[in-house]
Amino acid sequence: MRFLLLLSALVACSVASSAVAQDRLDVDGLVDVRWVHATGDLSYLDGGIGVLRFDPDHDGLRLGRAMLATRLRVSDTISVHAVLDAYGDHNGNVADLSELWADVRPFPTGPIRWRARVGAFYAPVSLENRGPGWSDVYTITPSAINTWLGEEFRTIGAEIEGRWLGADSGYGGDLALTAAVYGWNDAAGSLLAERGFAMTDRPAPLFGGLGMPSAGTFHEIDQRPGYYAGLDWHHHGWLDVRALRYDNRADPAASSTEGGTAWSTSYTSAGVRMEPGTRWTLIAQGLSGDTLTSPGPGEGGRFQMTFRGMYALASFEQVHDRLTIRYDHFSEHQAAGGYYGPPSTGNGHGYTLGWTHSLGEHWELAAEWIRLTSTFPPRIEYDLPPGFIESQVQLAVRYRFQLRT
Amino acid sequence: MRSYLPGVVFVLQMLASAATPAAAADMTVRVVDAGGRPVADVVVTVRPGGPDGAAVPRDAPPRTAILDQRNLAFEPRVLVVATGTQVSFPNSDSVSHQVYSFSAAKKFQLPLYKGAPHAPVSFDRPGLVVLGCNIHDQMVGYVVVTDAPYFGKTDSAGEFRISGMPAGPVRVSIWSPYIADPPAALDRNVQVIDGGPAQVRMSLTRPLRAEPEPRPGRAAWEY
Repeated sequence: MRFLLLLSALVACSVASSAVAQDRLDVDGLVDVRWVHATGDLSYLDGGIGVLRFDPDHDGLRLGRAMLATRLRVSDTISVHAVLDAYGDHNGNVADLSELWADVRPFPTGPIRWRARVGAFYAPVSLENRGPGWSDVYTITPSAINTWLGEEFRTIGAEIEGRWLGADSGYGGDLALTAAVYGWNDAAGSLLAERGFAMTDRPAPLFGGLGMPSAGTFHEIDQRPGYYAGLDWHHHGWLDVRALRYDNRADPAASSTEGGTAWSTSYTSAGVRMEPGTRWTLIAQGLSGDTLTSPGPGEGGRFQMTFRGMYALASFEQVHDRLTIRYDHFSEHQAAGGYYGPPSTGNGHGYTLGWTHSLGEHWELAAEWIRLTSTFPPRIEYDLPPGFIESQVQLAVRYRFQLRT
Repeated sequence: MRSYLPGVVFVLQMLASAATPAAAADMTVRVVDAGGRPVADVVVTVRPGGPDGAAVPRDAPPRTAILDQRNLAFEPRVLVVATGTQVSFPNSDSVSHQVYSFSAAKKFQLPLYKGAPHAPVSFDRPGLVVLGCNIHDQMVGYVVVTDAPYFGKTDSAGEFRISGMPAGPVRVSIWSPYIADPPAALDRNVQVIDGGPAQVRMSLTRPLRAEPEPRPGRAAWEY
């Protein structure tokens, strides 16, 4: 994978200069510095099993994120996108790519517009993460299910989309069907099995791994590609419906030295975002699936978990301010095996209150409070009670900049 | 069950002035919604000569027009022009756009651009031309190309005014992408009498479709 991505990076660099010269480069940058107060146990990012990004030993003044999102228009129908991230906490690399992909989009000559993406990118699932660099535009921390999708999933392969453009038929919307094949997602599910759902704004980079000990996240273990298929329906500019069926088609008996055991993981996600008028946004999204690994013989060498999560969000914006509330609920159920000892059967409730205030073109203040109540029996292995309450307050100062050449 | 009675009710009030006969009349077309509120930006076309009559030549309308792009939206969103008009598509946004149409009345593509690098596009066939941006799917615009001698859009009072209408039968048509009434109900014949003025009130029966509100801050990147 590294070879392919580095090759893509070289191609991107080679066209960058011509793109700049031809007035075809867009850059969005972000520096997010925040003060954090956290309660709860040591975060899984710091080697513990707490499910928020920060913990009492790692709060105070922190780098939330430094990000560069670039888009190079190589030609009229091809663009190359790259997102470079630095988080300042446990990156395997100080700065790392989180996405790198090429977009091929011919001019439509009829009501169906075709589009293809090749590289490493996020699947079209989340209804929250719609800002540059897959950032959440409503709260600092995305929902539990979109946290997980950022941690363990990246489409490293090819995607094709056919979108029916309704305007020419008198319909104020469009409908897209999407399908993709990909690799390097065979370890997806392992983090959920070990830790349960979490709520962080800390997606995995492509190369540097996630958390401590910093291990790579994206591995091809069984040489079997996965797939997803989904739909995206826009209706009259105020309604967006998304659904996706994902299956990494991993061989649960496969393993490799670098990637560990393969996890056969599949899920179905569906959600709706409504934007009546110019001020309100309402989102509901749910996800349900299962993951299985069986590297050893018999029941003892087998582990299977089903999981589901949902959230409902309401956001109100007025001029320079946005206020958002969100409720998260999730559950995990160990369906088979005793691979990890205590049953991985738990659930949680998350309450999030977020506020952002724009201070002009470049500066923004953001505040967020999260209270997360969860139960996950494998915590017993860390001498922790299976259930506890964690909370986190974040006050962020953000500097954004844009380059449009 | 919902009634499908004709969607538009015309009330034609002719206030004739016998003392000062004239060869022409002034006409005001007023469009209101089901609640009686004015509807702006509705395209109005008026063809003297009745339903099958030929268009009557009049002073040549402007043959150039501008359809801008601002805040990831076409501005205006609906443009009505005479057949043969040259329309410029400048891009006033900081991001590039890629304008296209595959409508039968005009198929064209403007490769990726900012500013105004492209020559105007000639709209030489009457019909509805739907515009899109290949980068930003939420951008939709409309060019109504007409060979009717009288055309325009309603103002904030829901009114479109014509002066110097020849007497006789005329066919009045209205259109907007946000009108949900059946197309057949938006197209009617009325009689213009010398000396006018004539007022045509057109009442829609179905709620207007929601007009997309641009939220440019969250549409510049696709996820």
